[in-house]
Amino acid sequence: MTSATAGDANSFASLLDPLLDPAYRLAAVMLGDRGAAEDAVQEASIKAWRKLRQLRGDAGSLRSWFLSIVANECRMTRRQRWWGVLKMAEIEKAPNAEVETAPSDLHRALLRLSPEERLPLVLHFYLDLPLEEVARTLRISPSAAKSRIYRAARRLRSDLTMEEVF
Amino acid sequence: MSNENFRRELNNAVDQISGSPSPALRDRVRSSLRGASRSAGPNWIAAAAAAVIAILLVGVLVVANPLNRPNRQGPIAGTSPTPTPSAPAASPTPSPSLPAMVCATNQPPMTSSAPAVVFIDSLRTGTHAGYDRLTIEFKNGAPTLVDAQWQTSTTFTQSPSGQTLTVQGTHGILVTMHGADLHTDYTGSLDIKTGYSGLIEVRRVQDFEGVVQLALGVSGPGCYRWFFLSNPDRLVIDIQTS
Repeated sequence: MTSATAGDANSFASLLDPLLDPAYRLAAVMLGDRGAAEDAVQEASIKAWRKLRQLRGDAGSLRSWFLSIVANECRMTRRQRWWGVLKMAEIEKAPNAEVETAPSDLHRALLRLSPEERLPLVLHFYLDLPLEEVARTLRISPSAAKSRIYRAARRLRSDLTMEEVF
Repeated sequence: MSNENFRRELNNAVDQISGSPSPALRDRVRSSLRGASRSAGPNWIAAAAAAVIAILLVGVLVVANPLNRPNRQGPIAGTSPTPTPSAPAASPTPSPSLPAMVCATNQPPMTSSAPAVVFIDSLRTGTHAGYDRLTIEFKNGAPTLVDAQWQTSTTFTQSPSGQTLTVQGTHGILVTMHGADLHTDYTGSLDIKTGYSGLIEVRRVQDFEGVVQLALGVSGPGCYRWFFLSNPDRLVIDIQTS
């Protein structure tokens, strides 16, 4: 972290390495587009690199800090404005694209949620972040984070109780 | 349903949606980190200073209007295009009564807050399923005018030398950015050979008097798209590969 803060891009890249997979999963679920998710992670990495001083060398907060940048990048990607489309044929799926398995009910329900609702679910259940870290990533209080997780989970399974979620 | 069952099912759903990241993601990130410049100081200080200077400048110009010229405005529907008697015929300053003269079809309106020159600080390339991407990142705003011209040849004329250059690929795209600068902040390569199948080469054609031109050597079906993203401002050009 010290050498990264001092300006060593390779050190920073090494710090980010273990976070790229969770960051990509988060972005993919928020955006529903794997290519856009990789772009978002790449852009978020550059932004994180440029803002690294904000972290003040606190390696313990790196994960939540970076994931919050990724989530912001996803929000911006969704808001992006297309200024012009000159000529673009439909991009077809590659013939060797991996065969998808049939989506489960929960899969479909997850996609019906808004990206902002999916975000706390992925952070808490998929990435196993404790409540405090979910809260830091979302930049809200732990109780608000708990409430968001529960609300989103209830939208997936209406019969879930708070005890079953936490 | 227990917490564990719910978690397992949810995780399966997330796996289905996201799949795994491509193996190239790590290299892409590393490569873009190496190519990205880091600002020397907190950005907000520079931004605040620039904003204060811009506000003061605009305030002085609006209040004093030292040249006693009308403000630059777009055309107003229904107004008569009568010339302003006090305006010299050769004056480059547009008058609201002469809208047709200043409204070139390919120039977007310029606002007082638009920077005269935006500095390109990074050129990045990446490959994705179905397309290759060039990202041109600007340090301080978007250029006033951007144009992308498709051409069947891969030969371009450099400016101001007039010499020709040829890029790799089967076709070319000439990207022109007005009000841009590639030599102040950008320190990377001026001839990027990507090794991709769609976007083969990116090479500087011009970086002179606020106009930057890049030649793109491309291959494939000949389809592309371009758009802007903000924060930071960047122009993205995608070349279709399949």
